[in-house]
Amino acid sequence: MEYALTLQGVTKRFGSFTAVADLSLEVPKGCIYGFLGQNGAGKTTTIRMVMSIFHPDSGRLSVLGHPDAAEVKDRLGYLPEEKGLYKKMKTAEIVAYFGKLKGMDRSTANLRARELLTNYGLGDWLDKKCEAMSKGMGQKVQVLGTIIHEPELVILDEPFSGLDPVNRDLMKDLILDMKRQGRTVIFSTHGMEHAEQLCDFVMMIHKSRLQFAGTLSEVKQGRDRAIQLDYDGDGQVLQTLPGARRVNDHGKHAEIFLQEGQDPQQALRWLVDHVTVKRFDYREPSLHEIFVRTVDEANQKLALAGQER
Amino acid sequence: MANKTLLVAQREYLENIRTKTFWIGILAFPVLIAISLAAGFVLAKLKQTQHYAVLDLSATRIGERIERQARSGDMEALALQLAKGEGLAGAMQTLQAELGSDLAKLAPSADPAKAPDVPPEVRERLFDAFMKLPAADVEAMMSQQKAMASAQKYRRKTLADLGLADLPPAEQEKELEARLQRGELFAYFILGADPLQRLDDFRYFSKNVTDNDLRGWYERAATKIVQDLRIAEAKIAPEVASRIKEQVRFVEKKRDADGRETAVTVADKGQGWAPVAFVYLLWIAVFTAAQMLLTNTVEEKSNRIIEVLLSSVSPIQLMAGKIWGIAATGLTLTVSWAVCALLGVWAAEQLMPGADLSSLAAARDPLYLASFVVYFLLGYLLYAAILVGLGSVCNSLKEAQNLLQPVFVLLIIPLVSMMFIVQEPNGLVAKVLSYVPLFTPFTMMNRAGGPPELYEYVITTLLLLASVWFAFKAAGKIFRVGVLMTGNPPKLKEVLGWLRQS
Repeated sequence: MEYALTLQGVTKRFGSFTAVADLSLEVPKGCIYGFLGQNGAGKTTTIRMVMSIFHPDSGRLSVLGHPDAAEVKDRLGYLPEEKGLYKKMKTAEIVAYFGKLKGMDRSTANLRARELLTNYGLGDWLDKKCEAMSKGMGQKVQVLGTIIHEPELVILDEPFSGLDPVNRDLMKDLILDMKRQGRTVIFSTHGMEHAEQLCDFVMMIHKSRLQFAGTLSEVKQGRDRAIQLDYDGDGQVLQTLPGARRVNDHGKHAEIFLQEGQDPQQALRWLVDHVTVKRFDYREPSLHEIFVRTVDEANQKLALAGQER
Repeated sequence: MANKTLLVAQREYLENIRTKTFWIGILAFPVLIAISLAAGFVLAKLKQTQHYAVLDLSATRIGERIERQARSGDMEALALQLAKGEGLAGAMQTLQAELGSDLAKLAPSADPAKAPDVPPEVRERLFDAFMKLPAADVEAMMSQQKAMASAQKYRRKTLADLGLADLPPAEQEKELEARLQRGELFAYFILGADPLQRLDDFRYFSKNVTDNDLRGWYERAATKIVQDLRIAEAKIAPEVASRIKEQVRFVEKKRDADGRETAVTVADKGQGWAPVAFVYLLWIAVFTAAQMLLTNTVEEKSNRIIEVLLSSVSPIQLMAGKIWGIAATGLTLTVSWAVCALLGVWAAEQLMPGADLSSLAAARDPLYLASFVVYFLLGYLLYAAILVGLGSVCNSLKEAQNLLQPVFVLLIIPLVSMMFIVQEPNGLVAKVLSYVPLFTPFTMMNRAGGPPELYEYVITTLLLLASVWFAFKAAGKIFRVGVLMTGNPPKLKEVLGWLRQS
């Protein structure tokens, strides 16, 4: 398989703080890859190393087959977590400017910028200043600036944060469009539902260390199945479900893990008696559950290691 | 690669050039200067004529003589107009009729700019005739003849004009005070009984205690008259007296290349003082531009656009692009000012043909203009490197301003020393400051009237270039790390650590 990006034992320290420790990763070409992790886990640092904004202290990195990302900068697209535009510039100008910085010639960049903006519903805004736009529109303009030069690898840092549902869907469509056009997309998020819906591959990093990586089904494989329940009624009562090992109650939705050997049919019967069941599913745990459990386990391990010392 | 630097610079330049504030800044400066120059002129003209009365208690009635003395300058100007046959038809005809054959005695002198020699008896007649002119005529004449400044500014109302001529002095005094209170008079003078003996009963009354011009003008005339009277009383021959009163004056001269003596002209003076204006402009231009860069860097950092840029260009390209973009902006600014200055001189020549504008010649001196542009560029680059380094570690303008304080303290030095250095362009202070790269641009510009030796230009410029190079290196290292930092600004120790990194 061809890889858009590979990392081998990459480590980055800031003073005494290790932001990324011994990270190895392979991102196949043409996939959507999700970087998961809590805030401060090391996702952004990893991304910045890929973008050659930072340089790793040790380990090897290969971006589109080149050891130094600086050589292929023009073939990468990057949307940082903190988004900003030049307020005084016109939308078409700024998108074209990003294109020119990536080595596009002037007239192509100008033409392509107008075309892209029009295609994505911002035709009326071509010659308006960025400061006049809403946050969602600004985000859209910025994403378009990221892909104007048709990059082979697009990296989006927290593309969904701060967007309303309509704009989230738009962002999703954009990402799927990119995949359809044959680009490799990496995005980081702590919204697990986006990762679950979009990603071919996911990886999770916690406190600078890689916890797992692989396709969604690989990641879920071998994990306990769970009851996915949509319900109405008193959530408290769910905690008294006989044979339940763990209940993640979200008010209208709950994820219930049964003790080994327990029959989900039994549980369903009990649930029907106690709450109004709207949907009942027995399947692999959600990415959310995997995420939370991974964080718990990793923290316990760290605490244990701390005690031993 | 350099292409991307150019792109950044171009964007920076266009963004600045497009703002209204930039153009206001370009225009505001020359306009402000023009306004302040014009304002002094206009304000002086607008000043209301001050009316005064004189209560002459002296036995010898010296009041009239003082009045004549005070107006003698005006009379000379008037005589000049008459001799040339210029002036306002109505008033001049009256004067010509009054003077009659005496007019012939006012033959124009060889130098047309100088007043003709007016024999004393003609002067008396002229004065009398002038005083008899209707007020409207005088007014009209005054507004045309700039030379007759005192008549324009101060106008006497005689006691007869005020209808007080026949009252006893005590009553007159009371009445004058009443007029003063009513605002009919700006001031009145009381001349003491015996000016030959004591002068402490010469008094001046006015409601305005801040404007002393009228009093000073009248005092000078009165002094002259009292001196003359006392000289006469002591039976000193007038020639002896004027010899005694003569003041020592040194005539300013210089020697040209051949050792010949020539007069020091207004142009020479302008040349000597012009550096002050240039230093001031330089200072403003350097800091406007450097400040622009700082604001811009901090803004770019705080609105996070910097990270997108860094995914396309290297930090050094970005920094260089910003610095050059704003350098271009600053050059536009300074060149516009220079053009304004040249236009101003040209306009002044067109508007006032014949006026002596040699004092403005320095504005066109190629040494000054070239130094200005070169020192602007070098000075800007040095301060730009410092400020961009500072800016890159700050997250908000407020933080940046705090860090700037020490820089600004340093910056006061060229301003404070400006007047001092222009007077002593090759003095110790000037020389020492020239070798401090931070001050080199300002000090060397300041000394341009000297001018400094060639070797000084060479050494200081090399030093400055070296500092610019070092500052750029250091700023690049700080910028690279600082620009992506958020949270508290780093400690000095950390920054030094970045500098040590390769």
